[in-house]
Amino acid sequence: MANLQPNPAEWEDFEAAAKRPIEQHIRNSFVHTYKPVLDDAEYRSFNSMEEYRRWCKENLPYWLGYSRD
Amino acid sequence: MAVFEFKSAQDLGRVLEQYGVKYLFFGKSGAILLGYSDTTQDVDLYVDKQRENCEKVVAALLELGFRLTENEQEEIGRGKDFVQLRNGPFDVDLIFAPDGIERFDDAWKRRVEKHGFPIASMDDIIGSKQAANRQKDRESLPRLLSFREWLRGNK
Repeated sequence: MANLQPNPAEWEDFEAAAKRPIEQHIRNSFVHTYKPVLDDAEYRSFNSMEEYRRWCKENLPYWLGYSRD
Repeated sequence: MAVFEFKSAQDLGRVLEQYGVKYLFFGKSGAILLGYSDTTQDVDLYVDKQRENCEKVVAALLELGFRLTENEQEEIGRGKDFVQLRNGPFDVDLIFAPDGIERFDDAWKRRVEKHGFPIASMDDIIGSKQAANRQKDRESLPRLLSFREWLRGNK
């Protein structure tokens, strides 16, 4: 289980973010970074989340973090 | 592809509302709309998987400028569990059956409205990440949990 103790540095981040205009907050938060394989198709669909997870495990580079291992 | 700006969120929310789509901002993008400070690439939308709602999503996506083939429109309209879109003005993941949540209506009842958007509760966003249990989810959970605690103290 993750540590639930407040992290003062993180709380300072949250407080600072809360003071920014929403437009700036969104601009800071949505950053496009190319993810190999994942971003190489314009459209993908999966009949189940299990199928999606299997596809991620079999096709995506491990370092992208989509594996449950 | 254009960067996702607040205006993009407003356009997305406006068109989804115009078509009567039942949805929630979800995942890290939902948390960001609640004030969470972190980065993400795409917008996660948790969409009610009722057939009629799925068809409304298709109409809304086309109006927003997503380029969907007839087959893709038919697939989304019929209802999939997960759809990844990189063919529009911004990146969107449509999630119809997120891990850790049994029914859309339950998440809808727990939703938070902020900036005029329906957003999944932090409990549902965190619960789904805990259930998904991917490496990237495990890495992001401590900060998300910390944000939830901060949010509770700042209501």
